[in-house]
Amino acid sequence: MSVYIQSASHISIQEPLSEKWFTEPQIPEENFNLSIEPDYKQFIAPIEARRMGKLLKRAVTTSADALRKGGCEMPDAIITGTGLGCIENTEKFLNAMLDNDEECMPPTAFMQSTHNTISSQVALTLKCHGYNCTYSQQGFSFDSALLDAFMQFQLGRIGTALVEGHDEMSPDYYRMLGKIGYWKKEAANTEILREGCGVGSISGSSSVAILLSNKLNNNTLCEIKNIITLHCPDNSEIKTALENLLSESGITMNDIDAIVTGLSGDEANDAVYKEVAANCFNGKPLVWYKHIFGESFCASAFGIYIGATIISKGFIPEHLLYKSEKEIKNVSNILIYNHFQNKNHSLTLLQTVKG
Amino acid sequence: MEQLIEELKQEIINALNLEDMTPADIDENAPLFGEGLSLDSIDALELIVLMDKKYGIKLKTAAEGKEIFKSVKVMAEYINEHRTK
Repeated sequence: MSVYIQSASHISIQEPLSEKWFTEPQIPEENFNLSIEPDYKQFIAPIEARRMGKLLKRAVTTSADALRKGGCEMPDAIITGTGLGCIENTEKFLNAMLDNDEECMPPTAFMQSTHNTISSQVALTLKCHGYNCTYSQQGFSFDSALLDAFMQFQLGRIGTALVEGHDEMSPDYYRMLGKIGYWKKEAANTEILREGCGVGSISGSSSVAILLSNKLNNNTLCEIKNIITLHCPDNSEIKTALENLLSESGITMNDIDAIVTGLSGDEANDAVYKEVAANCFNGKPLVWYKHIFGESFCASAFGIYIGATIISKGFIPEHLLYKSEKEIKNVSNILIYNHFQNKNHSLTLLQTVKG
Repeated sequence: MEQLIEELKQEIINALNLEDMTPADIDENAPLFGEGLSLDSIDALELIVLMDKKYGIKLKTAAEGKEIFKSVKVMAEYINEHRTK
């Protein structure tokens, strides 16, 4: 069973619902970066929007945009990854609990404070009664959601699916994560992040909706050939897994044009990518994206989105290449490698569908 | 009373996140539920929280709320008589 990426949509710290980031990215100047919000009224009726927090509005909007682009009215499944869920509403609810001495709680923030509200809200808006599932494993949430969707396709249970990654960063949570070394202390630019020295990265906000289908159409971006996830592997296990993934797909490492990675500027995080690259990737060019989209628990969704966009456009622009190489053309095979704290690892192979 | 009605309209807009509305858009005599603002049961809970938090009024039964939440004007009259804040 073939699985194709038909379309994708994002709301992030780049221009929302747009592919402008591919050629003209906005370079973040601060370490704390908020999403750029589109005009939600084009997608959500005000009477419905009034009970949605920002993350829910982003989820509903990116879903609608991905479905429209992919020419699908109703997906068979909605599978969402989120590390923090609707954290702003969770904080609102908890603060109200303290302020009101645990009495007289406002219901709306409570209703939105669970992780699976996101996938549920998309289903309610679409009136979709299909498979609906939420994965929340911090920085591996989206990878788990994508693997679930891929397996559902393999089992023949679904023909279309919205696979989503949604996370927002509240000022309070940003502050807390900063205390455990998630962010650079000083304002970091691309060159500082590229050096990969010291702790931390820059923050982002991720809302990505990707439409998968088992059927090709004129807009299909690429095919997902295979996905492998690993828990606490050593280098030889990653190498073996990669060899299996490539051989099952009928290609070798020589056929891979580039590796999309989660290099972020955090020394410990980047060391894992560099070590795996040295052992497994045969000097293939590395692509990165966290210097323009920032770090967030669902940032790996951008890895898939970027890989699919590169394949559909057939080239990798210079700004996405980690080592400042020149633009790479005629791209057909992209490997996406993600790890979260060197515990959870995923390898995803994307391939062109163009003859 | 007029001042309380205007204040209450703004409080309702804030509590129910009626982003596109201004106090002038709300008819103080129009029903809050069913027609008029077309509020629902979750909004009723938000209004109960508003009554408690802002005016110190604790509603004991759902039936009580049904009477009090008939319109903004009825709400304001009830608040005027029973407020503790």
